[in-house]
Amino acid sequence: MAATRIQPSTREIFTTLEYGPVPESHACALAWLDTHNRLLGHYVNGMWLKPEHRNPAPCQDPITGENLASCLQAEAEDISAAVEAARITFKTWSQLPGTARGQHLTRLAKVIQKHQRLLWTLESLVTGRAVREVRDGDIPLAQQLLHYHALQAHAQDSALADWEPLGVIGLILPTSFSFLDMMWRVCPALAMGCTVVALVPPSFPTPLLLAQLAGELGSFPGILNVVCGPVSLGPVLASQPGVQKVAFCGAVEEGRALRQTLAGRGATLGLALGTESLLLLTDSADVDSAVEGVVDAVWSDRSLGGLRLLIQESVWDEAMKRLQARMAQIRSGKGLDGAVDMGARGAAARDLAQSFVDEAQSQGGQVFQAGDMPSNSPFFSPTLVSGLPPAAPCAQAEVPWPVVMASPFRTVKEALALANGTPRGGSASVWSERLGQALELGYGLQVGTVWINAHGLRDPAVPTGGCKESGSSWHGGPDGLYEYLQLLGTPYRESFLCESLNYDTFGLAVSSSLPSGPETGPSPAPPYGLFVRGRFQSPGTQSSRPIKDSSGKVSSYVAEGGAKDIRGAVEAAHQAAPGWGAQSPRARASLLWALAAALERRKQVLAAQLERHGAAPTVAETEVELSVRRLQTWATRVQDQGQTLQVTGLRGPVLRLREPLGVLAVVCPDEWPMLAFVSLLAPALAHGNAVVLVPSGSCPLLALEACQDIAALFPAGLVNVVTGDRDHLTRCLALHQDVQAMWYFGSAQGSQFVEWASAGNLKPVWVNRDFPRAWDVEVQGSEQELSLHAARTKALWLPMGD
Amino acid sequence: MAAHCRGTELDLSWVSRVQVNHAAVLRRAEQIQARRSVKKEWQAAWLLKAVTFIDLTTLSGDDTFSNVQRLCYKAKYPIRADLLKALNMHDEGITTAAVCVYPARVCDAVKALKAAGCRIPVASVATGFPAGQTHLKTRLEEVRLAVEDGATEIDVVINRTLVLTGQWEALYDEITQFRKACGEAHLKTILATGELGSLTNIYKASLVAMMAGSDFIKTSTGKETVNATFPVAIVMLRAIRDFFWKTGNKVGFKPAGGIRTAKESLVWLSLVKEELGDEWLTPDLFRIGASSLLSDIERQIYHHVTGRYAAYHDLPMS
Repeated sequence: MAATRIQPSTREIFTTLEYGPVPESHACALAWLDTHNRLLGHYVNGMWLKPEHRNPAPCQDPITGENLASCLQAEAEDISAAVEAARITFKTWSQLPGTARGQHLTRLAKVIQKHQRLLWTLESLVTGRAVREVRDGDIPLAQQLLHYHALQAHAQDSALADWEPLGVIGLILPTSFSFLDMMWRVCPALAMGCTVVALVPPSFPTPLLLAQLAGELGSFPGILNVVCGPVSLGPVLASQPGVQKVAFCGAVEEGRALRQTLAGRGATLGLALGTESLLLLTDSADVDSAVEGVVDAVWSDRSLGGLRLLIQESVWDEAMKRLQARMAQIRSGKGLDGAVDMGARGAAARDLAQSFVDEAQSQGGQVFQAGDMPSNSPFFSPTLVSGLPPAAPCAQAEVPWPVVMASPFRTVKEALALANGTPRGGSASVWSERLGQALELGYGLQVGTVWINAHGLRDPAVPTGGCKESGSSWHGGPDGLYEYLQLLGTPYRESFLCESLNYDTFGLAVSSSLPSGPETGPSPAPPYGLFVRGRFQSPGTQSSRPIKDSSGKVSSYVAEGGAKDIRGAVEAAHQAAPGWGAQSPRARASLLWALAAALERRKQVLAAQLERHGAAPTVAETEVELSVRRLQTWATRVQDQGQTLQVTGLRGPVLRLREPLGVLAVVCPDEWPMLAFVSLLAPALAHGNAVVLVPSGSCPLLALEACQDIAALFPAGLVNVVTGDRDHLTRCLALHQDVQAMWYFGSAQGSQFVEWASAGNLKPVWVNRDFPRAWDVEVQGSEQELSLHAARTKALWLPMGD
Repeated sequence: MAAHCRGTELDLSWVSRVQVNHAAVLRRAEQIQARRSVKKEWQAAWLLKAVTFIDLTTLSGDDTFSNVQRLCYKAKYPIRADLLKALNMHDEGITTAAVCVYPARVCDAVKALKAAGCRIPVASVATGFPAGQTHLKTRLEEVRLAVEDGATEIDVVINRTLVLTGQWEALYDEITQFRKACGEAHLKTILATGELGSLTNIYKASLVAMMAGSDFIKTSTGKETVNATFPVAIVMLRAIRDFFWKTGNKVGFKPAGGIRTAKESLVWLSLVKEELGDEWLTPDLFRIGASSLLSDIERQIYHHVTGRYAAYHDLPMS
């Protein structure tokens, strides 16, 4: 422990062979703070902004508690000023050729190289993280990120020609973050032509330094603006006119709250939540190396969170013994010591860990800590908790830094069930020397990143993200670029907030519909009922709603679906989803192809239906033809999913997998009742999802017609079509915790509700905010957009060597 | 040196369970070089400690009495006396751990050390060093003769053929016979890791060598193209630890070949400290086989004491 004491003599050290201090001078960090008279403001448009009458917040040394500087806390007007600067700069920055932006980023990388000592000492000083990790890990990666994205900017004009930058990006960072979290998001945003306003916690000035370095490049000072302030200012930032996207990383509950607050405010929201990671140790693993993996994951100051450790029962004793021996070798100490593994993270992190450990102990968990730490120490010992089955309340909570929570498993199947049995889906590593077993686990884990026999590897070319409550935003790789792009011609995002929208009552009640006249529809009549589990069923409500044709006459009645029907449909979809996801792409393609053929045979009936609902004969015919073609297009696109990435410094590939989301809820638009239905259904199926679909409200009959063919071709439950009151069905789907994603094409209010309700399980949602989509026009790249929404990425790292 | 390692029965099921992940071990090896460093007084003390671990070695075709004698005196006086005095370490009796020579030079070394008046053990390589491709009978005879000449430590090379073809029983038998031939002398088993093909083989060979009763396991002869590397060391140290945990026998570790700088020697010390703990940091359980390392350490000590970089002629040659 780095405590003050009289320096031992050579003779003493010769006997004890203990480690000595390896102090890293932080004089330059202090000198930088001195140039600001130890008072930091905000960095906006290449200038320091130090407005008067702002509350200063202290920036402290997490070990001594000494005040290093004060940071002014922003108020709303400071944020407006920053957004304004970013908005003005966006006009020129986004119009630059990609190559020019790339050059600018390269220059920034060079500046970072020149001032890296200042960066790493400042970062280590204020965050307390081990300087070794910042110096040897973060700084080189920050430079790599800039270089990688500079190349992407260069390639943008040709490779991403159908896409344009979103606009001003609001970036909200939590109190426990490294400046690298900021770089992961700033680099792709800037490269693609966006400009950034970052809201950072006042106690961490590294982003300010970074903004200063970027600002002092001369041209385009307004691309990166940093404002200090609490996370509570997030909604203010998000609702500034011009902010097109908000990227947030932080705690799950903060993200959930932000999702609810930002519903209807226009800006899209990218969430990256939680810090917990997972490590799976099987009995065929190199246990010693896996223990090093645990150290990499949680006791080396690389990651910010704790670790859930699953160990196969047959190697439990071996693994625990090695872990405990290894823990004794971990050195905690001052972050600015070159031979320290773990620094101090400040009082908040320590208290969080302590309360978790206390709770675990009170629930019967065994706690092992190497070495005693005095209770007033700023440090927290590496901690290993075991003996808490999933039902223990503590076992469900997120494991905080620097705690490892170990539990045993018996079989690989059980390991998957345990690992996937949490709402978190960030990253995981699998330790097994058996290739088949490792891949089985790697593919089966519901997480964003899987490392095989490694933990915590990072590279700018590999997308990093998550699923479930870890949020569905991505950084790095191609996926990270699309986070800051939109299809050419996408309408500008403005607030469509309806203040009066009551979330408690939206779509809650369904007005009952009475018989309103005889049916004048075609003969034979279209099928009646909800299409669930592969057949037409009568609805739970046992009532119907009339569908009128263009002349206002009742064409026919459709079933009035309700909450119970949605429940049944989602259940059915879940049963069908694994089988469909496991089908080979070719099998999926041939079924889509067969459906296209079936619809073509039904062409006349379908066109006639469309005409009855007001489409001109030629338009009706075209709509059916286009629908057929859409299905064929997606059948051919099923194959090209995923790719292999090659990463610097890693022998072996990284697979970028595109995996099905699971059960996808789709609320189709009213317009183009046939074409929109098919255009949304086809990509969802092509990517291996099971679907619960609400068809066009004014003309649901075409979807039902198509269901007759779907029933004949596809596995039961894969496609479920529920008719009824759209708001009511939307409500049921959006609030359903076991729907993995939702696409909503309908009213602004509905969009707002869907955004709000998605906070429940943090499902990714795609809403149209009442903007019509030209379904008949095949815009270049629109398939790409659908494809992005229809699957989730997983990065599977496969290091090799013998 | 401590009592002999007793060895155990050959446990083939243990050998067959061994799993080593190459890529992960390489990563650990990279980390270990960056995560621990010692400065100032600590560095001086650690370097002096490193001196006491050195098996000061000459293994050349042109070795004669005179250069063996020089080596022996250097082993007795590894650091200039005034430098030790400045560090107040002159009365610690710092010498290298042993001198290591070819069998034919054992007599010379014993004679020279006797003349110098010190009890530094003489180690001899044996068993068809460095390739081990001679008949078992002559290899055993070589061990016996070296012991007769006065060597108290024998560095034997294993038969790589047996490892590469998976004949663990035969390997166990051979080493057991070397063990017997050594009598009271200590047995250091050279695995020649550069020629074993994979880290898994290295782990397995380490286990078999320890089961057969080796007092030390040693990385390499210094004559292979790849010698003592950190990944190899990590694997061997883990095997030593596992063997200790399961049988209670402490087996020593000796990296050899290619360790030339003081800085590297510090990494080796911290590697052993991290993987096996302080109790292994004694000449009974840790040696470094080297020839030119000592002069670099002496240069660093010179710099630590005087604040100046030494000229070639400032330090006596070995």
